[in-house]
Amino acid sequence: MKLIAGIDIGNATTETAVAKIHDERIEFISSGIVETTGIKGTIENIHGIFSSLNQALKKGKLDIKDLDLVRINEAAPVIGDVAMETITETIITESTMIGHNPSTPGGVGLGVGYTINIKNIKKLKEKKPLIVIIPKDVDFLEASSNIDKAIRSGLDIQGAIVQNDDGVLINNRISRVIPIVDEVSLIEKVHEGVKTAIEVAPVGGVVEILSNPFGIATEFSLDSQETKMIVPIARALIGNRSAVVIKTPKGDVKERKIPSGKINVLGKRRKMNIEVDEGASEIMNVLKECIPIEDIKGEPGTNAGGMLEKVRQVMANLTNNHPNSIKIQDLLAVDTFVPQKVKGGLAGEFSMENAVGIAAMVKSDKLQMQMIANELEKDIGVEVEVGGIEADMAIRGALTTPGSDTPLAILDMGAGSTDASLISRDGEIKSMHLAGAGNMVTMLINTELGLEDKDLAEDIKKYSLAKVESLFHIRHEDGSVEFFENQLDPKVFARVVILKEGNMIPIPINESLEKIKMVRKTSKERVFVTNAIRALKMVSTTGNIRDIDYVALLGGSALDFEIPQLVTNSLAQYGIVSGRANIRGIEGPRNAVATGLVLSYEEGKENE
Amino acid sequence: MAVNEKIIEEIVNEVLKSLNSNVDNSSNFNQKKNDFTGSINFEDMGEAKKGTRKDEVVIGVAPAFGIYQNKTINNLSHDKVLRELIAGIEEEGLIARIVRVERTSDVAFIGLDAAKLSGSGIGIGLQSKGTIVIHQKDLFPLSNLELFPQAPVITLDIYRAIGKNAAKYAKGESPNPVFTINDQMARPKYQALAALLHIKETEHVNKNSKTQEIKFQL
Repeated sequence: MKLIAGIDIGNATTETAVAKIHDERIEFISSGIVETTGIKGTIENIHGIFSSLNQALKKGKLDIKDLDLVRINEAAPVIGDVAMETITETIITESTMIGHNPSTPGGVGLGVGYTINIKNIKKLKEKKPLIVIIPKDVDFLEASSNIDKAIRSGLDIQGAIVQNDDGVLINNRISRVIPIVDEVSLIEKVHEGVKTAIEVAPVGGVVEILSNPFGIATEFSLDSQETKMIVPIARALIGNRSAVVIKTPKGDVKERKIPSGKINVLGKRRKMNIEVDEGASEIMNVLKECIPIEDIKGEPGTNAGGMLEKVRQVMANLTNNHPNSIKIQDLLAVDTFVPQKVKGGLAGEFSMENAVGIAAMVKSDKLQMQMIANELEKDIGVEVEVGGIEADMAIRGALTTPGSDTPLAILDMGAGSTDASLISRDGEIKSMHLAGAGNMVTMLINTELGLEDKDLAEDIKKYSLAKVESLFHIRHEDGSVEFFENQLDPKVFARVVILKEGNMIPIPINESLEKIKMVRKTSKERVFVTNAIRALKMVSTTGNIRDIDYVALLGGSALDFEIPQLVTNSLAQYGIVSGRANIRGIEGPRNAVATGLVLSYEEGKENE
Repeated sequence: MAVNEKIIEEIVNEVLKSLNSNVDNSSNFNQKKNDFTGSINFEDMGEAKKGTRKDEVVIGVAPAFGIYQNKTINNLSHDKVLRELIAGIEEEGLIARIVRVERTSDVAFIGLDAAKLSGSGIGIGLQSKGTIVIHQKDLFPLSNLELFPQAPVITLDIYRAIGKNAAKYAKGESPNPVFTINDQMARPKYQALAALLHIKETEHVNKNSKTQEIKFQL
């Protein structure tokens, strides 16, 4: 009888399986899991290996000296990194529009007229439609009484632009309902005497006339050429509750593309390059055409170049290799949005700008696994050997799932990369590593919600949400209500919270639960569903994803509460049976590689 | 059919009742009353009752507020402070109701009493020296939604923002807490004055007195 430990060092966790090998039979005793220390494949991993091994041995009431052999994985030398590049920006010149969305505009309707400062309204003799400008130093009572007097004296007041947050207050005090847009911080930039249109939609509605190019054209009597010019304005106002459009001779709103450089894809058979600002789907198309890929480079001196070279540099430092010998093997580009301040905006408006998120995966010649093995052997005084290829081990481990058999494909969805392997009926294994996994989802959530807090984004990714409706009950994201005996913390009152292991973590942003849930779900879909299909296509012997029958999901991300469902759902469309693996019938999707390492010892012996 | 008529009659009565009760107890400024003189004018309306409207925020003021004291420790006159709070609440589309809590001068208890009288369950507690708290009816007295303990650094803009936030809580939104300044020197500089003002306020506490509804006009 021999006592063997298999240890798998992953990007996020280090897992151990301990087993007794009798002559014929393998008896698994215990397993351990801790977070990986340092970056996968570096000497810092040793601490994690130690504690993972100790955890497993302690559970099995064993001592390190009882071990006969330790097998560690020959880690696939892949490291993923993520980056983000904004590709559009909105610039307003000459104060053409205020498209901002104050939470409480006043009044309702559409008003068109010429701007005038409220202080000059008494001097006015001419009768024309007016839009009143109310700067900060005019109190709402004063403003409303002046507007009311003006209306009564026969002036045609069509609307008001207010610097303070006084829209509703003014509206409540005047005798006629006019649209009032407030919180315009840079009101001094609005000139007097220019033609202006203001629209405020009723509560719960959105502007309809000023978000329509022909609507603007009607109000300002524009010709067809000018109408074409104002399309970006109309577009920028879609979905707002209130809007102001000011006609100035040279005014302009542009959605500009930021040149962010080219990505050069060097395939074995062909070379292609693609502009980053073409968007994610174009980048992925080019990538697909160049398979198999030897290296991917960014244009030097551009954002794209900097982004890819950084990944290369990090990997070079880790492996003590020259950056030139590091090859980027895969890339996942995803379209995303980043909230950015509009340049030249009058009220500090934000607009959601297009961006491309990129995960890159690097393959180096080798990692220092042998070195780790040697070091470990010295420390514990037990023989340590580097076992087989990670993907092979994973598939062996996955086959211990009850109900599974060859041929089988696995999808290992980790933190740094998504790996797929396929074992055919006669035991032949083919595997593939792809960029983009859990870390990229975290990045997408972080930027799309504008959190600037990675840990919070990570929690949003992992746990479900709820809205605290009173101090004694919450409404879960599926609509069900949960009551509590004891009062909840007032810090979470009326907030959207993350339900993390019995705790409630308030999310400090002003977004609805539905919005956060949607961002979370689409981020997962864009990364994992895309990669699942991509990876399975590559490992399929025929290149057709439909020729795969069974897929077992492995890895940390397979433990997620919705990723397996999303993947299973999308794979079902191809007629594939997929589900979360259950290693040895007890471990769930974890511990596959560690289990495989122990199992392969037996086979190795037989081969001898 | 008789049942239906009965129900309709009941509904009509209910609606009429609520319409009548809505007429007078809100302290929002009169629509046409535009002249802002700065003079303070409280009208006593008798014992305060629990509100039934979901769209109200109750502001509870301390015993001496506006009567025996007329400005905060930051030299802001009480009518201006109230005006900003009410304006903040009104801007969010809600109405403000003011009550005077006479049984205590503790800002937390004043806030909680106000919250318990509020139809929305959200109340504001305001001391004469300017210390202010946003409270919720189910909370423990010494807990709160937002507390602004440093009265010397609270400006009129902050009072407006506090009114807005209280209204947002009442609407079930999740506002970001009001941004305030923390002045390390406030304590040594104002401690004696704050203590004095608080003692002066506490002198007017009447433990057996019921909370009074008041109407505030500018």
